[in-house]
Amino acid sequence: MTAFAEFLPYILSGIVWTLGLVAGGIGIGFVIGLFMAIGQVYGGEELKAIIHAYVWFFRSIPLLVLLFLFYWGVFPATGFKLDPLACSIVVLGLRSGAYQSQIFRGAIMSLGDTQLVAARALGMSQMSGIFHVVLPQALRISMPGWSNEYATMIKDSSITFALGVLEILTRTRYVVAATNEALIPYFFAGALFLVLTYAGTKAVNIVYERTKIPGLVGKL
Amino acid sequence: MTETNVVLKVEGLQKSFAGTKILDGVSFEIDRGQIKVICGPSGSGKSTLLRCLNLLSMPDKGRVWLEGREITNEESNVNDVRQRIGFVFQEFNLFNHLTALRNVSIALEIVKKMRKDEAKALAMKELEKVNLANDAHKYPAELSGGQKQRVAIARALAMNPVIMFYDEPTSALDPHLIGEVLDVMKKLAQEKLTSIVVTHEIGFARTVADEIMFMGEGRILEHGPPSQIIENPEHEVVRDFFRRINELYRRDEQ
Repeated sequence: MTAFAEFLPYILSGIVWTLGLVAGGIGIGFVIGLFMAIGQVYGGEELKAIIHAYVWFFRSIPLLVLLFLFYWGVFPATGFKLDPLACSIVVLGLRSGAYQSQIFRGAIMSLGDTQLVAARALGMSQMSGIFHVVLPQALRISMPGWSNEYATMIKDSSITFALGVLEILTRTRYVVAATNEALIPYFFAGALFLVLTYAGTKAVNIVYERTKIPGLVGKL
Repeated sequence: MTETNVVLKVEGLQKSFAGTKILDGVSFEIDRGQIKVICGPSGSGKSTLLRCLNLLSMPDKGRVWLEGREITNEESNVNDVRQRIGFVFQEFNLFNHLTALRNVSIALEIVKKMRKDEAKALAMKELEKVNLANDAHKYPAELSGGQKQRVAIARALAMNPVIMFYDEPTSALDPHLIGEVLDVMKKLAQEKLTSIVVTHEIGFARTVADEIMFMGEGRILEHGPPSQIIENPEHEVVRDFFRRINELYRRDEQ
């Protein structure tokens, strides 16, 4: 126990890495997901087919396989030299983009086309209509689904231990090896993930409540 | 001289959806300050006609001129055309995430590139015109149907259109809310704002319209002054249509 207490700050500093993975992955995924959702709803047939293939690819392959594929395969083969952290963030982001695109796509579809038609009737371009009228509403509708994505991401980030990224799990494993004590360190790591998941989804819920549109119940 | 007075000219408009002809050669013109009401059974192409006229739907054939300039050729810019045509939808189509005031001002900022404070001031003026100044801060979901439709009218008016299209503006309203919307439309008609109104409100057509165009099977079957079309139409279909509407009104009154 005393040995574990000594290593406590070491594990705790893994939080920064875990949150870095999550923030980077969600951020990249947000941008990719948003543009792919717009493409899937409003784009031409070819674009839709490409996005469909992308989503299908990243949702069908286990994260661990993706990490190995990109770290030892795709990036070296294409001449990129990414360290494990950067590679993990990119892979988490590419994969999250596939999932987030479906959250946003569903939200945009649920709005129907009348909002965009009204914007176009006023003389707004398609792009203006999408950015000023469709997306502000679609993003609000997306928030519950999006908080799920955060919860998934924070847990999935631990898989990057396989590339030696110094997040919570990797550090915990080192401590377990050094102290020959498994129960308390792993229990502690689990508790950390639990707190992070809870705090994050709670935060999204608060934003969701704060951005609720007055009078509009349920749907938005 | 007469040519410059024509706001909208339509010639041989045709439109099909999935092989079905919705518009089958519609031609008419409307002068500045005129109010035309379009009547006709559902499926006769009334809404499609309005949507083809502001290019929300592209006509297959035929030509349209807005203030003497053709809008159906390749050089015309749809966004420029639509700015000059106010469109009021049956289901209001207000932007759900914006207050009444922002609903009116947003296109002024984005499309007309007005400064924020200018846009806000103009939007407020338009809301006053439709008697909604006190509700400017409310969101669509906090407004009644009649209020929503009046915001939608203010939103279209703010763009300073040369012509207004109303697509069954009172059909989605509870009966007791229809009056407040029609009152606003009547006021605008008195100000000689050129308008095309798709509606079955016969009372409105009788008192406000310069002409009724009756549509059937994608064509204008008959057109003329309201009294003539409502009371003494040539076509059996038209006679039948107004007889049924009149019966409905009488039943309501009893």
